[in-house]
Amino acid sequence: MSTIAAISTPNAVGGIAMIRISGENAVTVADAVFRPAGDIKTTQMRGYSCAYGHIYDADEPVDDVVLTVFRAPHSFTGEDTVEITCHGGLYISKRILSLLFQHGAEQAAAGEFTERAFLNGKMTLSQAEAVMSIIQADGEAALRQANLAKEGKLSKLMTAVSEELIDLMSAFAYWLDDAEEFPEELERSTLHESLLKIQKQLENMAENYQNGRVLREGIRTVLLGRPNAGKSSIMNLLCGMQRSIVTEIAGTTRDVITEQVKISDFTLLLSDTAGLRETGNAIETIGISQAYETLEQSDLVLYVIDASIGITEEDQKILKECAGRKLAILWNKTDLDCAAPPQLGLPVYPLSAHDENALSDFGEILHQLFAEGCYSNQPVIMNERQYHLILRANTAIFRATELLAAMQELDLIYAEIEEAVRALRELDGLDYTEDVIQGVFSKFCVGK
Amino acid sequence: MPEIVSFDVAVIGAGHAGIEAAVASAKRGCKTALFTISLDQIGNMPCNPSIGGSAKGHLVREIDALGGVMGEAGDACCIQMRMLNLSKGVSVHSPRAQEDRRAYHTYMKKICENTKNLYIIQTEIADIQLNENMEVTGVTNRFGAVYPCKAAVICSGTFLNGMVYIGKTGLESGPDACLPARKLSESLQKNGISLRRFKTGTPCRVHRRSIDYSALQAQTGDADPLPFSFFPKTEALRNDAVCYIANTNEQTHRIIRENIGESPLYSGVIHGIGPRYCPSIEDKVIRFASREKHQIFVEPTGLNTDEMYLQGFSTSLPEYVQIQMMRSVRGFEKIEIMRSAYAIEYDCINPKCLLHTLAFRGYHGLYAAGQFNGTSGYEEAAAQGLIAGINASAYILNQEELSLTRQSSYIGTLIDDLVTKGTEDPYRMMTARSEYRLSLRHSNADARLTPIGRKYGLIPDERWQKFNEKMQRISDAVAQIKAAAVRPEQVNAYLEAVGTSPITNTAHLENLIRRPQVKFEEIRQVIPITFALQGEETAEVSHRIKYEQYIERQTQQNERLAHLEKIRLHEGIRYAEIHGLSSEAIEKLTKQQPENLAAAAKISGVSPADISILRTWLKAGGDHHAV
Repeated sequence: MSTIAAISTPNAVGGIAMIRISGENAVTVADAVFRPAGDIKTTQMRGYSCAYGHIYDADEPVDDVVLTVFRAPHSFTGEDTVEITCHGGLYISKRILSLLFQHGAEQAAAGEFTERAFLNGKMTLSQAEAVMSIIQADGEAALRQANLAKEGKLSKLMTAVSEELIDLMSAFAYWLDDAEEFPEELERSTLHESLLKIQKQLENMAENYQNGRVLREGIRTVLLGRPNAGKSSIMNLLCGMQRSIVTEIAGTTRDVITEQVKISDFTLLLSDTAGLRETGNAIETIGISQAYETLEQSDLVLYVIDASIGITEEDQKILKECAGRKLAILWNKTDLDCAAPPQLGLPVYPLSAHDENALSDFGEILHQLFAEGCYSNQPVIMNERQYHLILRANTAIFRATELLAAMQELDLIYAEIEEAVRALRELDGLDYTEDVIQGVFSKFCVGK
Repeated sequence: MPEIVSFDVAVIGAGHAGIEAAVASAKRGCKTALFTISLDQIGNMPCNPSIGGSAKGHLVREIDALGGVMGEAGDACCIQMRMLNLSKGVSVHSPRAQEDRRAYHTYMKKICENTKNLYIIQTEIADIQLNENMEVTGVTNRFGAVYPCKAAVICSGTFLNGMVYIGKTGLESGPDACLPARKLSESLQKNGISLRRFKTGTPCRVHRRSIDYSALQAQTGDADPLPFSFFPKTEALRNDAVCYIANTNEQTHRIIRENIGESPLYSGVIHGIGPRYCPSIEDKVIRFASREKHQIFVEPTGLNTDEMYLQGFSTSLPEYVQIQMMRSVRGFEKIEIMRSAYAIEYDCINPKCLLHTLAFRGYHGLYAAGQFNGTSGYEEAAAQGLIAGINASAYILNQEELSLTRQSSYIGTLIDDLVTKGTEDPYRMMTARSEYRLSLRHSNADARLTPIGRKYGLIPDERWQKFNEKMQRISDAVAQIKAAAVRPEQVNAYLEAVGTSPITNTAHLENLIRRPQVKFEEIRQVIPITFALQGEETAEVSHRIKYEQYIERQTQQNERLAHLEKIRLHEGIRYAEIHGLSSEAIEKLTKQQPENLAAAAKISGVSPADISILRTWLKAGGDHHAV
């Protein structure tokens, strides 16, 4: 049986969340993302034992967790099972689940843990009807969700990409089975271009998921700027309360302070950070490195500049670090003598943090920055399962481009394209082969 | 009615499907009758004089691996052998042979005559008799003679109510001027089997002397031809025939367009559905109007005849148009037609009424194979015939019937497509139809299927022993490669010569073989390891190493469906009584009666949750009928 995973705690923010992995490779999949604090490797853990450690995405730590191993048949499902108990944010648990998918686990279907428990003889026959009721209830909920998604923009995008892939597959099928000549679509350079284009589309969709997440879970926003530019004052202004300690002494904020605020239609997950500068103070240095880490994980940077000093070389340097991120400049302290805001090709919002109404139009800036892809258009509804399928398709296309570059045979490349289509079609369960064959007959003059 | 002789199994029709069915059934110990309208047409090739081709070559080798006879006859009567698709990746390499069609007929007739338990009888079967339990009890000929039997395999090809068309004139006829079968359709319909009309067509045969070959491009056989059979009886293949390629031109197309109203298809005289894969020349010209030319292959039909077959030029236009359009082709200016091109329309079934064993659902002892099931092609027909013959005899012998999975073979894929999806036009095998393409190579058909053929009694001891020795040599060589490390000085000269980077440290041989530029048959010459491999085996070892990881991935990707394919759903399950199934699923499952969970999962409207419920229900022992 394949190895499946799902978040087993309710889909809501809580203190802790639990992710369950079950199947032949449950332990090896967990081992791929878990680094124990102790010496015992995950693969060597015995049943009914647990370990503390960290989940890593490559070299980046994601969360500290407790991992519990159950060995077949002594588990709920009767298979090897690993339960990961992590912190209860939705983002964290979903990110861990995504990692498990990347390492070979599959999304558990409706009621699948219970079903496996039954199939593996962990329940009595009289419980079979109850099991079917659970599957049915979960299935209906999943179906409702799928039906909602079907009408959505995402489903249309997925269909469009899978149609492009089917066209490619038709060219392949024609060439493999019939053609004496090489169809243009399959010239290595043309094929490479087509694949890159499709990859771009898939990446955009995956990015849309991130944007969708922004809508559901909030925009991870970091306040950055040189010391004493007024970041904490702005944080306080945004929060409408004294959250950060404000003093005249540069370098007051030494750790990362977070707060959740609602502005216009958006939720901001705000992080105030230590002012960025070269410093000899050890504690401040830690604060600064934390600020950079926060930057790495942010969706939005609010960069605060002291207008009375103007933009400095150090500001320019830090701004370069932020390249490629959504970014707005808060031109603070306009109540003092100051220069005109600089022209950086970025949205600039002049304000004085002492003015209580200074941020009344701030929602506009957010709309400008986040409108595209997640707000002005129809919102993208995507669940973890769809996201996983898109990643699966993208991985297959990526492998296809690699095989192409390595001058591998085209039948191998065809197999990867086929896998991408299978992933994209999985939700509606459509049989794609007839579409491919249809494509061959409508586009190419086949036959003897 | 007077009874004549009684049989276990009656096979109706002695084309490519009927021969395999009858020979397999007889070899497995059943007293088998093979009925044909003409003894002179056994194993006839009324269309192209060739066996194999893309994906079809895979089928021939699979038939051979299972213990069928098409590969043996194809080798014996071959006049030119080529491996197709050599530039396209090993999974789609496919053998194709030009055949001497009369020699093929004679060879097949001889095989049938020499097979113990097999009785060939020339007569037209008009009726299949069933008792009240829908069990086959006998077959009756046109003159009322009854042949009692317990199982029947229908392999009627294009004979059932056959109508041949040239232009708008139709003639009741089978292929190649044979008599059609005019009564059997009625009997089948009376017994509750519904029929439909398909059509197919064939090009002219022309005289060898009437072609100017200097205007054509010649095509010869492979320098080192490979036989179809894994256990070849023919020492060396004949391979000296030459084929030629001609091209249509604008003038040809103009003649076709001007006369399109004379076509029985375009004027609406024929309603039958033709094969998308094998379109007539008028179809190609009308549908692909921008193409300036279409290829025509000129192929000899045998060694002792001057008839040439014009592949790619099938048509049902009237003869005066046929001669005009042909003479417009360069090299064909003086062409002499010996047999005119024609279209043929015939009765067939929608194969969704069959099980994976090729038995009719709801009947006992009644099987079908070949064009009657809605396919096109000799190889597709033979593949089904073999399975139907194995299963008709298994029914008699009270053995478990054989249904091949999609993962096992193109034969399994072909039958699964037919019985689960049906087909809307004559079905032709294509490699694109298999999601297991990478593992279904022609060269490993024996590894995949010979053990199954052995289980069903079609692989004799000597062949079985040779097969096991071969498998041992291959797995030994693979193990040797996996254990081998090579040093830079041994292989670097070779690696650089083929244009790939040299190694700096000791490297695993298997990783080097996986490089696209490296050929196992070459690198084995420069390393100090001896492999005990013969003939085709070197290539097979190379494919196993090179494709290993990709096949593993493809298998994993298909795993869920493959698992579901193994879970059978018994006929007559009362879906409405299963707690938790959605009403849509109940309706569709009841109507379509899928044979296994994979087939059920492919039905639109049956959700993954429904499949889970079915699986749980089966596990809980809900299916009391399950055997």
